[in-house]
Amino acid sequence: MTRRIAIERSLMIVFAALLLAVPWIVPALTNKFWVSVITEILIWSLFAASINLLFGYVGLLSFGQALYFGFGMYGVGIGIDHLGLSFWPAFGMGIMAAMAMALLSGIFAVRLTWHYFAIITVVFSLIFYFIAVRLKPLTGGDDGINFSLPPTFSFNGTQWSLTNQTFQYLFILAVVSFCFYLMHLVIRSPLGKAFMAIRDNDIRASLIGLNVYRLRLVAFVMAGFLAGVSGALFAFFGRYASASYMFYHVSGEGVVWAIVGGAGTLLGPIVGTSLFIVIREVVSTHWEHHSLIVGVMAILVVILAPKGLIGLWREWFAHFEVRDSEVPAQTKLPTELMSEP
Amino acid sequence: MDTLLLLALNGLIWGLIIALIALGLSIIFGLLDIINIAHGDFFMVGTVLAWFCLETTGNYWVGFIVVPLIGFILGALIQRVVIQPIRGVAALSIVATFGLSLILQESVRITFGPTPRRILPPIHGTIPLFGIEYDIYRIFAAGLSIAALAAFFLFLQYTKLGTWMRAVRHDRETAIAMGIPAQRIFILTFAIGFALAAFGGVVAAPITTVDFRGGVDLLPFCFMAVIIGGLGNLPGTAAAAILLALLEGIIQSFADPTIARISSLVLMSAVLMFRPQGLFKGYAK
Repeated sequence: MTRRIAIERSLMIVFAALLLAVPWIVPALTNKFWVSVITEILIWSLFAASINLLFGYVGLLSFGQALYFGFGMYGVGIGIDHLGLSFWPAFGMGIMAAMAMALLSGIFAVRLTWHYFAIITVVFSLIFYFIAVRLKPLTGGDDGINFSLPPTFSFNGTQWSLTNQTFQYLFILAVVSFCFYLMHLVIRSPLGKAFMAIRDNDIRASLIGLNVYRLRLVAFVMAGFLAGVSGALFAFFGRYASASYMFYHVSGEGVVWAIVGGAGTLLGPIVGTSLFIVIREVVSTHWEHHSLIVGVMAILVVILAPKGLIGLWREWFAHFEVRDSEVPAQTKLPTELMSEP
Repeated sequence: MDTLLLLALNGLIWGLIIALIALGLSIIFGLLDIINIAHGDFFMVGTVLAWFCLETTGNYWVGFIVVPLIGFILGALIQRVVIQPIRGVAALSIVATFGLSLILQESVRITFGPTPRRILPPIHGTIPLFGIEYDIYRIFAAGLSIAALAAFFLFLQYTKLGTWMRAVRHDRETAIAMGIPAQRIFILTFAIGFALAAFGGVVAAPITTVDFRGGVDLLPFCFMAVIIGGLGNLPGTAAAAILLALLEGIIQSFADPTIARISSLVLMSAVLMFRPQGLFKGYAK
């Protein structure tokens, strides 16, 4: 146990240092292109985290998180392109739009659980996908809307804008890390414990006085916040917003990333998302049919590591430490057997 | 009026085909606890196999027999290799069948190509029906779908294997205790599910286009039929599929297809909220 935590801590520090150094190390080692791949991984990890918050901690499998991603995206896109907002108000508008939508649909959706919840979330996301496709003047439909970025900060004439790749990377890293830190705080708080109580047994949770409906709604809005932030960041990153990101396939990919990485662990979604996006980027340059490999990978991970890659790592350590520990765990069994008459 | 009738008929016939696919989805869900994201792609594989069949033999009719058979074998294989190891854990089944869906789509894109194609129906011509000239193949497709639906329900009701399938769905532990080989029933169920969807594919191929993404739009529709009909209620699922497609057909006569789709989705949300057991009363467990 302790050894695993020590190793994980040091890995995390190395990982954090590497992430901070990416804009300088990566172009020196390989290619500038990989900086934008890593940026994309950060954004999608946050999206997978929103699915993980609901599924891994509250036990609700949402298949419609792309809706809130899309609202985050369109909040930014419409805010900048149609309303002429500057950077921060547009960012705020994206997040608020996603959270408002999550509240509105959550009021209905969290009344249902399990299969019904999965299906109603996908139905809601499909309804708004079709509406977005249809409202072409506002949303641009599947083609989307392109916009040019307003500066993020400007002090006395000097402007900082996401058009600078290094600044863009660091900005997105900061926002994503902040969101993961918030999620870490929530999970460790009494609220997070209440979430897990509902995940493990919702009837028992309601019997000890937890308001299951309200807590699920709170989690749903929080997940909407995470998905909205990732959508808004993706809009800034791609400088466009498109209805195609609201389709259920996007939600499905997020579910796969979260479960493959390890649902119910803070960093699982990052592991899963990185794995799939890196494979996609590496293979797609050599072979057009990279989704074949993604499909095989998804099936293999589910069969070989049903608790995700993080689960596999922990099991491996648990195994290793039982072997090394001085106290044999099974000494009790023979005495019990002997005491049998 | 004529367009209304035409679109309503089209919707009705499309609904019969959807019913075939949705039934497979429903029995797989009911028996194996598998949420099958790849089910739309089973249909798509059916349309593509029909195309290959036509290319190699030059005779479309062969496809009506060969394609469901290939579907049956593929289904049995997939159950054994992919579905069985995850042991009915629904969350894992979503990931595994999502992977399966990618594999099927990509394999078709490699072999069949990315461009959609059309197949000419094996019977041409129109017949007068309620005052409009209606495509004869569609009538034939409706007949085939009804025959397949009837055959499926007769199989489920009156054969030993069908009874076993109902028994395993009703109470797995008791069924196993009574000596029913549940493992083989799982394989059979998945294979039948694939075969039904593939058969739907052959029937539908001349009506729609053959495309490697042909299953993507279909999947939510099939899930809707399963939910609106009531989980575990097979006749309800078939009826819901037909009703939904008919409704979309009728709405399409005065609004565009997107509005039709949105209205059926809103209807579905209402059913989920107020009658999660499905629209039809007295649901059979």
